Amino acid sequence: MTTMTDAERADKLVQRRTRMLPVLAILLITQQGAFLSSTNDGRTVDHVKIAAWVVMAAVVLLALVTGGGWIFPKRVRELANDESTQLHRLQAMRLGFINAMLTCFLLYVLGMFTPVPGRDAIHIVTTVGLASALISFATLERRALRDA
Amino acid sequence: MPERLINHLKERRTELGLTQAELADRVGVTRKTVNTVENGVFTPSTILALKLAEALDRRVEELFSLIED
Repeated sequence: MTTMTDAERADKLVQRRTRMLPVLAILLITQQGAFLSSTNDGRTVDHVKIAAWVVMAAVVLLALVTGGGWIFPKRVRELANDESTQLHRLQAMRLGFINAMLTCFLLYVLGMFTPVPGRDAIHIVTTVGLASALISFATLERRALRDA
Repeated sequence: MPERLINHLKERRTELGLTQAELADRVGVTRKTVNTVENGVFTPSTILALKLAEALDRRVEELFSLIED
């Protein structure tokens, strides 16, 4: 059996991460859809659902900030988060921040015509910001991997 | 005046018979980063440019140069 070098493991991690990011974004948006379409009337199941969404959003944010791959050795993680990856992550997070701000503006305007509950607004802003950053990061990484 | 960075990384790498993965391993980055530098998609930091130059046994100015558009 051949053992992979750290560089090969980092390459695998980068490829796997690039495939996983859009899936995470879809999961986040789907959960968001389920939250908005349900009536939250204080049942225990609603609290569990909200807690699950918060945990997932926090994990996604942590993965986005750190680059993920926590089960891999430090050297592999460092390689998988090299210069080009850091730049892509920064670009993706900038886009996520801009989209989150634009969503805030839209919700503010919407709030002038119809009441927008605070929790719903937080859900929408968080989901738009995180999902757009995830999709942007995946797109930039996929483009960089092309022909590699 | 608009300027563009070009590089001769791929020529030098193939001249030495190195793959992208081997060069990446020498400078401590992923194959993806070497690929993006070669394609001109990503401009490396001074540190990475120096590491690339050392790995390819060339001066930085021989690997990277600015041209006017």
